[in-house]
Amino acid sequence: MASAVAISEGPLILGNKTPGIVTTDICSSLERTPAPSWWIAIAFSGSMLLLGLVAVAYQIATGIGTWGLNNTVGWAFDITNFVFWVGIGHAGTLISAVLFLFRQKWRTSVNRAAEAMTIFAVICAGLFPLIHMGRPWLAHWMAPYPNTRGSLWINFRSPLVWDFFAISTYFTISFVFWYVGLIPDMATLRDRLKAGWRKRVAGFFSLGWNGSFRTWLHYETVYLLLAGLATPLVLSVHTIVSWDFATSVIPGWHTTILPPYFVAGAIFSGMSMVLSLMLIARKTMRLEDYITTRHVGAMCKILIATGGMVAIAYLTEFVTALYSNNQYEQFAFMNRAMGPLCWSYWIMVGCNVLSPQLLWFKAVRSNMAVVFVVTIFINIGMWFERFVIIVTSLHRDYLPSNWTGYAPTWIEIATLVGSFGLFLTLFLLFCRFVPVIAMAEVKGVLSHGKKPH
Amino acid sequence: MMPEKNPKTYWKSLSQPCGAAPSPPVAGDEFPESHEPARQEVRRRDFLAAAGFALGGVALGGCRRTPVEKAIPYLVQPEAIVPGRAVHYASTCGACSAGCGLLVKNRDGRAIKLEGNDLHPVSRGGVCAVGQASILGLYDNRRLRHPLRGGEPATWDEVDADISPLLDAIRTGGGSVRFLSGPITSPTKRRVIQTFLGRFDDGKHVSYETLSTAAIHQAHERTHGRRALPRYLFEEADVIVGFDADFLGTWIAPVAFTAGWSDRRKVEQAADDFSYHAQFEGRVSVTGTKADRRIRIAPSELGAVVNHLASTLAARAGVSFDSGQQTPLPIDEHVLEEVSAHLWRSRGKSLVVCGSQDVDVQVLCNFINETLGNYGRTLDISQPAATGGDGDGAVQSLMQELASGRVDALFLDNFNPVYDLPNGAAFATAMGKVGLIVSFADRLTETSEQARYVCPDHHYLESWGDVSLGNAVVGFRQPVMRPLFDTRSCLESLTRWSGTTTTAQDLVRQTWGDRVSWDRAIHDGFASVSEEPARATTFRADAVSAVPTPDELSADAFALVLYPKVAMLDGRVASNPWLHEMPDPVTKVVWDNYASLSPAAAQRLGVTDGDLVSVRHSPEGGTATSIELPALVQPGQHDRVVAIALGYGHAQSARFADVGPEWLEKKPTLGPNGLVGMRAAGLLTYQKGTLQLSGASVTVSPTGGKHELASTQDYHNIEVPAALVIPGMDRRRPMIRETTLASYKRDGSLPVLGHGTHHEDLGDLWPDDHKYEGHHWGMVVDLAACTGCSACVVSCQIENNIPVVGRDEVRRKRIMHWLRVDRYYSETDGEVDISHQPVMCQHCDHAPCETVCPVLATVHGEEGLNQQAYNRCVGTRYCANNCPYKTRRFNWFEYAREDKLANMALNPDITVRTRGVMEKCSFCVQRIEEARIAAKRLGRPIADGDVRPACQQSCPAGAIVFGDMNDPKSAVSKLIRSGRHYRMLEETNVKPSVGYLGLVRNRKEDEDHQHHG
Repeated sequence: MASAVAISEGPLILGNKTPGIVTTDICSSLERTPAPSWWIAIAFSGSMLLLGLVAVAYQIATGIGTWGLNNTVGWAFDITNFVFWVGIGHAGTLISAVLFLFRQKWRTSVNRAAEAMTIFAVICAGLFPLIHMGRPWLAHWMAPYPNTRGSLWINFRSPLVWDFFAISTYFTISFVFWYVGLIPDMATLRDRLKAGWRKRVAGFFSLGWNGSFRTWLHYETVYLLLAGLATPLVLSVHTIVSWDFATSVIPGWHTTILPPYFVAGAIFSGMSMVLSLMLIARKTMRLEDYITTRHVGAMCKILIATGGMVAIAYLTEFVTALYSNNQYEQFAFMNRAMGPLCWSYWIMVGCNVLSPQLLWFKAVRSNMAVVFVVTIFINIGMWFERFVIIVTSLHRDYLPSNWTGYAPTWIEIATLVGSFGLFLTLFLLFCRFVPVIAMAEVKGVLSHGKKPH
Repeated sequence: MMPEKNPKTYWKSLSQPCGAAPSPPVAGDEFPESHEPARQEVRRRDFLAAAGFALGGVALGGCRRTPVEKAIPYLVQPEAIVPGRAVHYASTCGACSAGCGLLVKNRDGRAIKLEGNDLHPVSRGGVCAVGQASILGLYDNRRLRHPLRGGEPATWDEVDADISPLLDAIRTGGGSVRFLSGPITSPTKRRVIQTFLGRFDDGKHVSYETLSTAAIHQAHERTHGRRALPRYLFEEADVIVGFDADFLGTWIAPVAFTAGWSDRRKVEQAADDFSYHAQFEGRVSVTGTKADRRIRIAPSELGAVVNHLASTLAARAGVSFDSGQQTPLPIDEHVLEEVSAHLWRSRGKSLVVCGSQDVDVQVLCNFINETLGNYGRTLDISQPAATGGDGDGAVQSLMQELASGRVDALFLDNFNPVYDLPNGAAFATAMGKVGLIVSFADRLTETSEQARYVCPDHHYLESWGDVSLGNAVVGFRQPVMRPLFDTRSCLESLTRWSGTTTTAQDLVRQTWGDRVSWDRAIHDGFASVSEEPARATTFRADAVSAVPTPDELSADAFALVLYPKVAMLDGRVASNPWLHEMPDPVTKVVWDNYASLSPAAAQRLGVTDGDLVSVRHSPEGGTATSIELPALVQPGQHDRVVAIALGYGHAQSARFADVGPEWLEKKPTLGPNGLVGMRAAGLLTYQKGTLQLSGASVTVSPTGGKHELASTQDYHNIEVPAALVIPGMDRRRPMIRETTLASYKRDGSLPVLGHGTHHEDLGDLWPDDHKYEGHHWGMVVDLAACTGCSACVVSCQIENNIPVVGRDEVRRKRIMHWLRVDRYYSETDGEVDISHQPVMCQHCDHAPCETVCPVLATVHGEEGLNQQAYNRCVGTRYCANNCPYKTRRFNWFEYAREDKLANMALNPDITVRTRGVMEKCSFCVQRIEEARIAAKRLGRPIADGDVRPACQQSCPAGAIVFGDMNDPKSAVSKLIRSGRHYRMLEETNVKPSVGYLGLVRNRKEDEDHQHHG
């Protein structure tokens, strides 16, 4: 579907810009002093982050008991947040690597921000496995480093160990990929800045970029290779995260559909988060010429597609359970839809299955306000999807005597808010210090100087 | 050579060096440092290196976690104390008057665990929860550490110097002295009290107990001319009929009765001797849950039912019985017919027990037992235990005496009448009129606070003593450790005030003299006293008459049933946190009492669990009493009954204000009254001279308030909600499998449930991983024998240092017990069946927890144990999530508390877990290792029965069997081959090492309650 987008719909970048104008447009916002709106935004996100920090500090000092968990529900907000943030990251990799390999030129306007979002989301995600531990000060035991404990090492059979590898690999590749793509733009910044510390920093990070043909050739090769390396990660990371659940014996977790279901969900949620952020950035940073309704439309279509996959997954789970003739399996899904926590299930269905259907209409896709609202709904829905998978499966499993409820404490809610604070703070800092649009790549897709078809 | 030049150099002083000659140059200056040994200035690099080393050293030193502790070896090794090795002393439990035999486990000179004495003729190896927990009373920091005089610390000499002259004055003045105590089962204590009181012209001993059996005593006085409590031999009974007698829970001697009852409930050993048990009751007792037929009757209907049964049996036996003005039978006559037919068929081998405090009803029960020829066979009063039996009225007349100011001195045993008596406040006022009050209480209570002198008695584990057990058997008690505090045996105090100084040990010895072999008796903890003659009794038929019909309840009134809760009894153990946190076997509620109402009654009142109701008793001509309690909906209860547990709202429970972890959203363990639960003793009534626990007419009205009860189980049915099941599919979960005796005898197997519960063995993917070549430990729990009494829960808690978490944490479903007893309701035609299922870690061979732990903190042992390494655990809780049985327990907070005294009860073999780590049942691995070491020392393999986990050890019903599944002759292997053996969730192929024996009820097949799904 996406390949059809680029061919027919006129110029990708509006305003018949020259490369020089692109540079000025994008760099100028970094060179100005921040607008009041930026200060307000960072004050807001910083407060959220602070709240989260206080909550986490209190929790680590006092105990996991400050969360609403119990003997039956051992994970809830913690791992929900983890899976949610890992999922958010996926759109970045999809846009930067997969769409690059498929030569989707429209990606150039959004890939930088999407990749940055990936990195920040993975940072947020990585925090949760750490703080969800009863004894986070021993978290290094999860890492396979040489030690003197004899045969006591990590357990390679544990999906949590696979997670450790998956997430650290994902973070490393994403970060390198993002940084490599940033080098030409860093050089541009370096060249524009007056002498000073900022010029020196930009100079350091541009790694002596000289813009020669050889440099470009090497750059393009590395970029292509990294895109190739990153592509399998789009599939592997969330597949591995889904194994946390799929390899267990708990009804509702123990299903083979989880890997594709999780990957589709990840791209769905990530794409909607990219869209939410880009719509804000587009408005506040006056990038309407770069992120056009065409870009938004393309991403909306991805949302329709992945949202459909997610909907099919929801349905398949039910059918499989029905077909299984297994009373625990059937009950797990009936309980999701009609049990005491059914409200979370119907929030999930409403947000993830129903709300994207609006995007079938072109009028909706070109109305930025409505698209923004839909993406927010999807973000909420995808958070609840993970909550539904984790909590509704756990709270009523095999033995009826173990059935319990679950309600979060303020500490858990503050931790969730804090993770959004961290994400937004990092993103706002990114907008201030790094070109939000990959200038070098955008220049390659300008219509300036080309004859209109 | 130049002559003027003297080649000699003359030293000017020793300080002038002779070294004119330079030392030879060193080639290349290989080690320049060596030439500058005494350089004064420190180079920067050296300084930094030294500073770095020092700082690093200090930092490393500071990384130590544990403070330095001094371990000083014995200068002179005491005999029999080997550090690290446990010694067991036989003793007799002092938690209640049943007198079960104990083996007290001592480590390094302190008692750490109470185990049942297998040789004991009465308790036969079991210990109940209250008995188990009584060890904490020894290490209670609220215990008095010295005598008190006027509330101030005093020495024994001071106290004696005060009391002796006062007593002399009373004696010479002909004053009156009263000794008030609970029931005294110790012959020595009785003798010492009598000797002490005998020195006064007017000395009198009064005993009293809330859980009174006075009606049984009085009934036997009427029918047999002997004020005595019979011995009940449940093991001899083919048919047991209980009327409101919770003999498996709290009635008289539940451990002994459970042992006897369960003898006849084990299908493997007693398929043909399987007993039939019918229970008539208003509330739901532990005993009721185990009955083959449970018949709900209101307390007011009890008399009529017993009347009808008596007249039916009298007609069968051809004995004359004047049934008087026969009231209509309040229950289905077929049921009564069934019960009476069973009784008649098993005459001489049946037993009717009754917990009623109505003497007339008890007389009728004696008549029934006599008519059936049960006396001398299933119950015996020829050699009864020496218990009190002063009658419940005695204490009330004592109170009048006290109030009139005629009593000069009042001695109070370790006993709290101000709390126990319905009119305790009046008793407290009356006590104010007494000149000299001496209390032997071990702590300050509502009663002992009023005493001028408090002379704390030893804890029973520090004391010498004896207990009369009936059938010419005496239990003995020896001090298992040196008294912790400056306390003194009550026996010694009394003799000293009588003018002699005999020690408690000699006093006990004097009582028995040559009638027992002393050393043997102390070693065993009991002895037979052959000389005590049995006394024949004859039944006096003329004493029997029909029970007059009680007044009908008015339409909106409820019949009150006050009952002792399994763990709390009458409140004597209200200072024990283990018992407050032990889930009630039936309701699963902890840290509270409540007003139990049947579902229909709750609906009628418009209340549900936790809604506050006011229970008001307004006797004719008396003052009204009311208490406000949360309601609890109790399936299976009679619709006209409101049941309330005694023992709560005790001043001693105020100490639990700070139990549980402190954090932002913590909710208090105590109720709004600052205590645990509400005191219900005020609702006790006296009728016809006996204390009535049930039958009073009360009104129940919702107050609109709410009090959230803390329960360990939220969902109570074995069936899942109908709305959540695809039509046509099975609602019933196969956790509990049950059958009837008849169909089990026919099929030799359990009925198949739903889609089939048999699952073929899928084999192992890696059979070489765990070959279990040595032992393969396994456990079998017999659901037919298990009564749900929860002795195992408390035993496990003590053995494994399991922390108490408080009400709020339980409410959040974070109880730490490694072993829980699941309770499920099922229903057929409105009759509720209740089943209990102890669930501990199932030690799966394919354990789902083991594969998911990222740090290998839980691993599989070579002998099949699923092992948890606490100090490796990082607390991801993944293992608990992936446990299908949810038997893993996480330390959500730092639950362990620093209480140096209470911590002496900790088991030194077991780590106290820190916060953030997972824990669970270990199959008492420390006991396996202990047995292994002992066997190795003897040069033999571990024999079957050498290893008994704490739960199995204390189980009064013998429902838990542990052993080696590799040994085909072991008890556990034999049970695994039983036709009713099944494993929970077999279909998941996790291969648990714990199996269950299906529940068997002795019913007709057409009553088989298996028609589910």
